Amino acid sequence: MAAKNVTIYTTPTCSFCHAAKEFFAENNVEFTEHDVAKDGQAREDMIKKSGQMGVPVIDVDGNLVVGFDRNRLTELLGL
Amino acid sequence: MRDLIIIGASAAGVPAGVYASRRKLDFKILSGDFGGEMARSGEIENWPGVVHTTGVELAGKFREQAKANNIAIDEGVTVTELRREDDGFVVRGKNNGTEIEERARTVIVTTGVHPRELDIPGEKALRTKGVSYCTVCDGPLFDGKTVATIGGGNSALESAIMLSEIAEKVYVINKNPQFQGDTTLIEKVTEQLTQKNVEVIYNAMTQKILGDGFVSGLEYTTEDSDEPQKLEVDGIFVHIGMIPNSDFLPDDVERNEYGNVKVDMIGKTSVPGLFAAGDVTSMPYQQLAIAAGQGVAALLTAVDYLNKLKT
Repeated sequence: MAAKNVTIYTTPTCSFCHAAKEFFAENNVEFTEHDVAKDGQAREDMIKKSGQMGVPVIDVDGNLVVGFDRNRLTELLGL
Repeated sequence: MRDLIIIGASAAGVPAGVYASRRKLDFKILSGDFGGEMARSGEIENWPGVVHTTGVELAGKFREQAKANNIAIDEGVTVTELRREDDGFVVRGKNNGTEIEERARTVIVTTGVHPRELDIPGEKALRTKGVSYCTVCDGPLFDGKTVATIGGGNSALESAIMLSEIAEKVYVINKNPQFQGDTTLIEKVTEQLTQKNVEVIYNAMTQKILGDGFVSGLEYTTEDSDEPQKLEVDGIFVHIGMIPNSDFLPDDVERNEYGNVKVDMIGKTSVPGLFAAGDVTSMPYQQLAIAAGQGVAALLTAVDYLNKLKT
């Protein structure tokens, strides 16, 4: 199965962001992380893409998941 | 049937689990998330033995300890029903969408609390679009913006302190004539930060949240006039109290007028075999250090109960 392109938008103090990254680690999923507390451009991108301001926002091959939705991520990642 | 189910995996539930594991009980933890309000706390400087930590860091330590003790935790679970059945309890709910049913001789409820809403126009529609109930989670997104924190206690004060480092301007809207909470926090906000970028508005009731797509402002009234005043803000953080997560419990579990589960000193509820600990209980002080102690006490009481069942 082709590797998925996974991006996660996070802030350092967000516990669900942490849980999502642990979930990726447990399942050997590679991902790119954007800290939207520091990166203003990434913040704008995230708000534009997702139409809202909550973190985490996870992009799996263009499919957006807002919040740590374990079920949906399992589905999208083919786990 | 298991010996025990613990519902909730935060400051009360996980310590109870550690003790349960060391007592070699047959048990599991069911929880919506790992860490609850503990993980959503910002700076923590009053956890016993630790000078300074954060909610995420402390929740991480709890998770390490849970792993080291091989505690089974089902996350993503919403419990919808708990009932007495045969010699124990049946717990029903959904695990990430799939129906679940678990049975145990005893249950410890450590489901904590959730934020109270203002219940005003615009609030629901603009949730996550500028309205937030967690400054720690969402504050960082308002770098350089204008924000408002609504509330009059420690949570609102902590919110204002965090936001003053991030936002350009912070309004604090307090419905009372003064703040209630830790003196250090009150002084920090009302004496130091008001010299910087924080403005406190007292005796003000927020009436409406404004915005088309995203938050653009809010309206409030004061005792002086019914004419609403308007503030232009990009973000609104609501910190007006917490509500116990106790709705799923059967009627024979006694609660106080706020919905907190009534417990005695060792975690017993009005239902034999059902125990509770942490912020969901009638303990008037909602603190991490207290929740942990209550969780351990409830577990030891559950063990005592289980031992008596065997004799």
